[in-house]
Amino acid sequence: MKELIKEFAKGIIKENPTFVLALGLCPTLAVSVSVSNAIGMGIAATFVLLGSSLIISLVRDLIPDKIRIPCYIVIIATFVTITELCMKAYSPALNRSLGIYVPLIVVNCIVLGRAEAFACKNNLTRSFLDGLGMGVGFTLALILISSIREFLGSGQILGHTLVKGFEPVFVFGMPSGALLVIGLLLGLFNFIKDKKA
Amino acid sequence: MINNLTVSGSPHIHKPVSVSRIMWTVVFSLIPAGIAGVVIFGLDALWVTLVAVAAAVLTELTFGILTKKKITILDGSAVITGILLAFNLPPQVPLWLPIVGAVFSIAIGKQVFGGLGQNIFNPALVGRVFLMASWPKYMTTFNRPFSFDAVTSATPLAILKEGKVLEHISYLDLFLGKHGGCIGEVCILALLIGAALLLIKGYISWHIPATYIFTTAIFTYIFGGAQIFSGDWLFHILSGGLVLGAFFMATDYVATPLTAKGQLIFGVGCGLLTAVIRIWGGYPEGVSYAILMMNAATPFIDRYTKNRIYGVR
Amino acid sequence: MKEMARYGFILGVICVVAAGLLATVNALTGPKILAAAQSEEQAALKEVMPTAVKFTAIKLEADNTTLYYKVFDRQDKLIGFVFKASGKGYSSVIETLAGIFLDDKISVIKVISLNETPGLGMRVTEDKFTSQFNQQNSLDLSGVEAITGATISSRAVMDSVMKKAQEIKELIKNDK
Repeated sequence: MKELIKEFAKGIIKENPTFVLALGLCPTLAVSVSVSNAIGMGIAATFVLLGSSLIISLVRDLIPDKIRIPCYIVIIATFVTITELCMKAYSPALNRSLGIYVPLIVVNCIVLGRAEAFACKNNLTRSFLDGLGMGVGFTLALILISSIREFLGSGQILGHTLVKGFEPVFVFGMPSGALLVIGLLLGLFNFIKDKKA
Repeated sequence: MINNLTVSGSPHIHKPVSVSRIMWTVVFSLIPAGIAGVVIFGLDALWVTLVAVAAAVLTELTFGILTKKKITILDGSAVITGILLAFNLPPQVPLWLPIVGAVFSIAIGKQVFGGLGQNIFNPALVGRVFLMASWPKYMTTFNRPFSFDAVTSATPLAILKEGKVLEHISYLDLFLGKHGGCIGEVCILALLIGAALLLIKGYISWHIPATYIFTTAIFTYIFGGAQIFSGDWLFHILSGGLVLGAFFMATDYVATPLTAKGQLIFGVGCGLLTAVIRIWGGYPEGVSYAILMMNAATPFIDRYTKNRIYGVR
Repeated sequence: MKEMARYGFILGVICVVAAGLLATVNALTGPKILAAAQSEEQAALKEVMPTAVKFTAIKLEADNTTLYYKVFDRQDKLIGFVFKASGKGYSSVIETLAGIFLDDKISVIKVISLNETPGLGMRVTEDKFTSQFNQQNSLDLSGVEAITGATISSRAVMDSVMKKAQEIKELIKNDK
């Protein structure tokens, strides 16, 4: 049991996809403008990660080694398309603000990375927990980055103004601001890790 | 006596010039332009400059204490960053703007890379571009010279960019600084006095400034006008931050190429980029972006213009 | 060769299952997506023509793209048109939805898509700018003042609306 919890928890800090593995940075840069986008993207990616991890772990013995990558991609793309259609139908506003980055989850390295590195070698429960942990870790990282960016870039969090008279630092709403924030946070994570070691 | 006989590793040639001596001379050479800025725009220009310098030095001090390294505030490099940043700001910005800009310049532009000598970009320009992207409203509101009651007037380059007819402004006015602009960039005369000092002292070489200004002039002459070969090249040299940039910011020791050949390439690159941004780009002025882009290219220029080591093929 | 066929077969099975699944999801969500898009369009149209009741899209026969909308009031009388104008701004194409009455006066405009500099060009979406268009003659917008520091974006909105209004006027004239 303890081992299973570990499988889930590692994605959150020890092997955080964004800050430690540095995977999936492209959507992270793009959608972390606002917290609501970050949550939407996080949930969508977590769903895809869960679904693909489950299915790939389930059929891992049926897929020959030589054609595993195309098979994984088809499975992942299916889940992404399901997510996109559902989002379009039930939350068109979120779909519009995430734009092209929803279909691009297909090529998010976290999803294929976990399929290749974990799900194809481990059983159903462990793959499920791994996918969930990675998804939650990705979502938390997105929320952390986007709350810094949304607050500095527009003076708001989730549309609520926090400090009156604050002059927004527009650069944090731009791609350059995303690079700045992620770079500094990565530096901070590494600094803490070095201190511990 | 015995010390002189000890053989140490190279380099053996010693010059009595230290980093801090050069830096303080640069500070001194910037004073004429500062005085001109204060005369033209009033005391606001002085406050902006002083605040920027103070913030830059304090940030440098804080980083020195936090990282437990040698305190480097006396070498004057932080002072230069503060002055250059302030010189790139409009005179009537709210005073928190130079503070934020200077802190960003020193902290992100310089110290995170490891301090003086390690920075990839000119720190003052990093700060300016950060302010430009963050608070464009303040960064693009300029005041008319010699009117101290906040009458706004666009810079000559901005007027040109918006396609309006440029009301007659003489080359002499541009040369002396009687037009809207940033604190330290408007008075070409004062800038040239300072630049002459640095050139005579040998602290900067002619390579970058000359090729930079020359390239911009040629390019704006060819493409800057309504027809080809009809651009107003003198206007382009005298307006905006070209002279300030060419002599004081594109000649930064750390972020520019080491060899003469590399510096010529650097200058031409800056000139081309500046002219391209001014003529076809979205912004009216391109000096800071041009220099930053060429700063980024410096490692590559250095790599391909390395001097041949004596005795090595 | 035999290996090859086996691989092909496995990949084929996976694709068929995936396609089947997607077809089901598409059939379930399709109508909802269409309805959402339509209600969104109606809401936007209503915003620029608050007095209107019915909108009919006039489409180009060749490729079924919407040229403009005819706008009718409660008595089913034609009161004006709604069109989408787009112009090159500072760093993006700015799309503006505009409602005009029969006498060329603008009802309301709404900037619907753009990606300009925050703090400068982005301000064309603000009420302070767009409300200047209300009751202006759509063919001559010299009364609208551009935003300081964002002249290019402001001009893009003004010029594109004027140009499109002119085009629509011509189209309607030819129709008669």
